[in-house]
Amino acid sequence: MKKLILITTVIALLLTGCQGTKSATPVSDDIVTLRIANCEEYIDEGGWDADETIKLSDGQRIRGVDSLISDYEKWYREKYGKRVKVLYSTYGTNEDLYNQMTLGNTFDLVCPSEYMIMKLMREKRLEPLSRNFYKRNELYNYYAKGISPYLYKRMHSLTEGGRPLTDYAAGYMWGTLGTVYDPKKVDKADASSFEIYLDPKYKKRITIKDSVRDTYFAGLAIDKEKELAMPSPDYSRLLNDTSARTVSMVEDIITDMRENAYSMETDTAKQDLVTRKVDASLQWSGDGVYSIDQAWEAGRRLCYAVPEEGSNLWFDGWVMLKDGISGSSDRKQAAEAFLNFISRPDSVVRNMYYIGYTSVITGGRDATILDYIKYMYGSDKKNAVEYDISYLFDDKKGSHIIRTDKDQLDRQLYAAYPTEDVLARCAVMKCFSDPANRRISRMWTNVRCYRFPWES
Amino acid sequence: MRFKRSFLSIPYVIFLLIFVMAPLAVVLVFAFTNGSGRPTLSNFIGFFRSSRTIATLVYSLFVAFITTLVCLLIAYPTALALAGSGFRRKHILLLLAVVPMWINFTLRITALKEVLDAIEGNLAFYPFLNTIIGQVYDFLPFMILPLYNVLDEIDPSLLEAGRDLGAGKAGLFFSVMLPLSKPGIMSGITMVFLPAMTNYVVLDMLYNSTFIMGSLIGSYFNAYDWHNGSMISAILLLLIALFSGIERKGEGR
Repeated sequence: MKKLILITTVIALLLTGCQGTKSATPVSDDIVTLRIANCEEYIDEGGWDADETIKLSDGQRIRGVDSLISDYEKWYREKYGKRVKVLYSTYGTNEDLYNQMTLGNTFDLVCPSEYMIMKLMREKRLEPLSRNFYKRNELYNYYAKGISPYLYKRMHSLTEGGRPLTDYAAGYMWGTLGTVYDPKKVDKADASSFEIYLDPKYKKRITIKDSVRDTYFAGLAIDKEKELAMPSPDYSRLLNDTSARTVSMVEDIITDMRENAYSMETDTAKQDLVTRKVDASLQWSGDGVYSIDQAWEAGRRLCYAVPEEGSNLWFDGWVMLKDGISGSSDRKQAAEAFLNFISRPDSVVRNMYYIGYTSVITGGRDATILDYIKYMYGSDKKNAVEYDISYLFDDKKGSHIIRTDKDQLDRQLYAAYPTEDVLARCAVMKCFSDPANRRISRMWTNVRCYRFPWES
Repeated sequence: MRFKRSFLSIPYVIFLLIFVMAPLAVVLVFAFTNGSGRPTLSNFIGFFRSSRTIATLVYSLFVAFITTLVCLLIAYPTALALAGSGFRRKHILLLLAVVPMWINFTLRITALKEVLDAIEGNLAFYPFLNTIIGQVYDFLPFMILPLYNVLDEIDPSLLEAGRDLGAGKAGLFFSVMLPLSKPGIMSGITMVFLPAMTNYVVLDMLYNSTFIMGSLIGSYFNAYDWHNGSMISAILLLLIALFSGIERKGEGR
């Protein structure tokens, strides 16, 4: 009996010990502690070699020596005369983050995707951005000054409980869902439709995503093909259909896709494209850029296409959590300062170079980011073509033109900065309602579960 | 308090309580409650009502069964050859059989994937074959070791006695060797069969886009359905307990 008491006491002590460190809220007055959780490898961690320095046309030299996190801590101290300590942690997927939060981990600032932001808004777990955050005349409000007006509009049009996403979220990276393909093996026309994932011509030479939302989206676009092909379709309504009838149609489509696919993957396709195991792969644009780069080094030329019938536009954004900020104006101020620091043009360039994704920040009046795009994809050659991305910066056509190799129109530049007509046919996939989420999860489990031979 | 021998187990008991018993309790609570925290049996009933989850369970058992069988068929002759080898330093031979275990298994499977790809041309056409090859590759040492241990311990005089009493080669094997090596076979089966049922990483890496029990649990947790995910874990635990019970009975005899 004594032994048992001893053991229970030790365990109780251990447990309370753990509890103590976990829920400890920073108490010190002069140091603000900021608990940030982000996706893995989703911020510049520094350590660049000197030859990786980005040299822009205006003479700016940009290089990530230290991580953006520690640079932020330094910057904050210089500008605000206060010390901030960032406790940085990472997670794998939006669902991992959500599960971590449910298990009682407290964060102040996290970076989920748009649908998870909407879910958190619905559950009233988010702290709204302060009014001051969007004031463009404040010196350090780099986010307000730099956000692409077009992307702001797209984010603003997403609402949850009557409030726009932009009340709570500062955009981070964005992109499209599309197909990375080898033009020697796959026709561009085939790659420009979700139908490729059902095409027996490419049997076991394509991959789809092992993620329910992305693959559901591909199946949905095929199911809605006819409606999407009509003049001026309502992309957002059609590509957010989660009715029971549609889900069961999509289940059949995805089941066929699975049969046709080489694999359902989370991140092996990049490697499989490079080693020529597959010829086309459903990818997010940022991973597409990465695959195209990697394959090029290994001697394989890859391209990127956004399906013609319509596709997915996605955002990741930073949001503050109520239970983390817990009413502390110091912490909220430091969190918003962090968002502004990472939106400063040189930070944005470092992030984009390091991560390979495209930032929602286009720089506003500051030309650094446009210069960076030219540095990456520009060309002085005689046969260079003009590529217009003015719509991202403002409304005037022809104001922001990149002269680039014709080749880039199917490759990295097109993946990183698609044209306006591409985004016009892309819809954001919103957060599923609870019943729809149950339906779609059940459908997904059904697709992946083994079937008795007499059932299929 | 005087020092007692049982105090030596305190570190392990603490470890057990924190990392095994406590999580197990959490799993069981989730398994038998619903979304609003009320106790329910519907997760349990739901599992057996869905033909897809049953099919997945049967498939997992089948994969594990074939894996174990193939392992046994390869490992037994190997262990026999090793144990009977006249080579003076036969532990070196054993070492060679066990060396693969020293390399992290995801690395081994990644390498295996390239090898299979070179042989088959396109992995995706042979998902079941690849699963079995991958699993056997992964688990074979766990079958060889216990078999070698028992076979090496068999007293040669017993075999001699058998021969003297007129047993042929087959008779010697079936009525002396095999019964004596039963404990090794049993522990080999436990070491292979149970993990093979849930080891979804091999399947994932070698591109069979079908769930086995391990991945099915993960899919429920991803959909925020902790209750059904926990229930499947609990059912697996139950199965494992059942199998070890059967095995212990087999050993006891």
